[in-house]
Amino acid sequence: MSSDDLATVPLADGVILSIENVTRTYVMGDEEVHALKGVSITINKGEYVAIMGPSGSGKSTLMNMIGCLDVPSTGEYILENQAVSAMSEDQLAEIRNEKIGFVFQTFNLVPRVTVYQNIELPLIYKGVAKRHRRKIVEKAIEAVGLGERAKHKSNELSGGQRQRVAIARALVCEPAIILADEPTGNLDSSTGKEIMALMDGLHKKGHTIILVTHEDDIAEHANRTIRLRDGLLESSG
Amino acid sequence: MTFFMDAGESFKIALGAIVANKSRGALTALGIIIGIVAVITTMTAANGLKNTFRETFASVGADVVYVSKRPWVQMGRGFQFRNRKDISLAASDKLQERLLGRGVVNPSISGNQSLKYRSKVLDGITITGTTDKQIIVSDMVPESGRFLTPFDVAYKKTVTVIGSGIAESLFEQTNPIGKEIKVGRYKFTVIGVMEEQGGSFFGGPDFDRQIYIPITTFGKTIGFNGGRANVNIAIKAPSAEAMSTFEYEVIGEMRKIRGLKPTEDDDFSINKLDTLLDSYNSMMGVVVLVGLVITGISLFVGGVGVMNIMFVSVTERTKEIGIRKAIGAKRRSILLQFLFESSTICLFAGIIGLIIAQILTEIINKLLMPASISPFIIVVALVVSVMVGVLSGFVPAYRGAKLNPIDALRYE
Repeated sequence: MSSDDLATVPLADGVILSIENVTRTYVMGDEEVHALKGVSITINKGEYVAIMGPSGSGKSTLMNMIGCLDVPSTGEYILENQAVSAMSEDQLAEIRNEKIGFVFQTFNLVPRVTVYQNIELPLIYKGVAKRHRRKIVEKAIEAVGLGERAKHKSNELSGGQRQRVAIARALVCEPAIILADEPTGNLDSSTGKEIMALMDGLHKKGHTIILVTHEDDIAEHANRTIRLRDGLLESSG
Repeated sequence: MTFFMDAGESFKIALGAIVANKSRGALTALGIIIGIVAVITTMTAANGLKNTFRETFASVGADVVYVSKRPWVQMGRGFQFRNRKDISLAASDKLQERLLGRGVVNPSISGNQSLKYRSKVLDGITITGTTDKQIIVSDMVPESGRFLTPFDVAYKKTVTVIGSGIAESLFEQTNPIGKEIKVGRYKFTVIGVMEEQGGSFFGGPDFDRQIYIPITTFGKTIGFNGGRANVNIAIKAPSAEAMSTFEYEVIGEMRKIRGLKPTEDDDFSINKLDTLLDSYNSMMGVVVLVGLVITGISLFVGGVGVMNIMFVSVTERTKEIGIRKAIGAKRRSILLQFLFESSTICLFAGIIGLIIAQILTEIINKLLMPASISPFIIVVALVVSVMVGVLSGFVPAYRGAKLNPIDALRYE
């Protein structure tokens, strides 16, 4: 099924995603864990948002939800006019492919394949023809400054270079949001700064960026900070 | 996303994974290779046996009925056959008479004797006493010289026509025609050499290592078992189409010769190529079936090996599956990726198996019997290989495909 068949829920002008009274409950053995207890957030197009909170605050759960890796137990999540809450697993895969650009703390590149192939992968899953893919991938490689590394395997790269590959991979499908989970967590501070500069540059070009972090100086790059505590919103900037 | 594009990319990804784990892929393939080699070689050997059988009995014409004391294919114990009256040379003559010239009647009898030419001795050679009609009922002709004539038979001439194998063993390069050989204690003059028949079925007659002498000299020179002649009568039907009615005619005339009452059973046996082929086919059918079941088990074990490795492969790449799902891989893409991996390994294994089987077949061909791998077997082997791959890859692939992306991403 294509995402075009899904029910559309119009959002207000300029709003890219809206989370309304979302809860997420996990069952762990006999116990129910309430990771999110009713959270509402609205993020506008072109915003640069940081999500902060100590561990156990529901930060990761919220990030999984925004990244369409998980769906809410109750409540609504609408991303670019599409109701994510009701989607099947394959529809979620499609939404992630088209609307989310993931940047992970541990880079999460596919091992054994080249930089080029890693960046090309989302386009393959999107069904972009080979002749179109080439241009897009090359452009993305240039954009993150890895032009001469295209043929290298991901394990031949430094951490900073790997994260650049991940960012390039996040960009190729022109996502609605770039979702970065502790993007500098595994990098030394100077490389971290380079990566954050890259993120800032993407924001300037008009990308919507959501940054999940527990470091204040990383969160400072964002224009707005959303703080979570015990599954509830503490502040949303 | 179209299926074919999905398939093409999944195939490339699968190839990449196999290349990255060469030794594991090779070990996995080994089970399938052994299975495929076993199955193909069984099928090829069965075909080879069939071909050999056909070649051996090619001279037993399909339009020839044999009247003998015993059936060729004997089920159970043979008391009732042993106590039958022998079939005499006179019976053969009477049959010839009664058939009024329809069909060609040829009596023959075989025994073993040693041959000697100068210092060379061959022991236990089949000596067939027969008449000039032998070459009509058996489709064998002399390659050089001539066959027996009615004159040779009527006047008990001590002449012989020898098989090509005998000619080679006794005479090597020299021309046997006109030479004298000793059959037992008696001298026979070689008047002809039969053309090579080739191919002998295990335990079956080797027509190239026989000699033919006039049936009228057989009693004196070779001697009858128990002192009386017990001949086989070959009767060639007027045409292949008339074979079935002709067979009943022969039975009817033989019963009259034997003076049987309508209530009595035949006291002779009717043999023909069909009965031989039928019994051969039913026997080989069982042998081939048993062979295929046993070798099929080895293929099954190979498949279990593939499944095992695919489970390892999926578990090992849990994180990769998570990454792929996060960036948009659907369950189908993951499923296809692993299915392609297992079926590609099995396809390669099938191809290697075919190559090894081909080598084995050539060895069988040289040493045992004519055997070859038919295009049909090649297609079957490749299809079966891929099917084994798909079947044994499915459960592991499905497990990988339905992994939760969050859990998979967290997996270390």
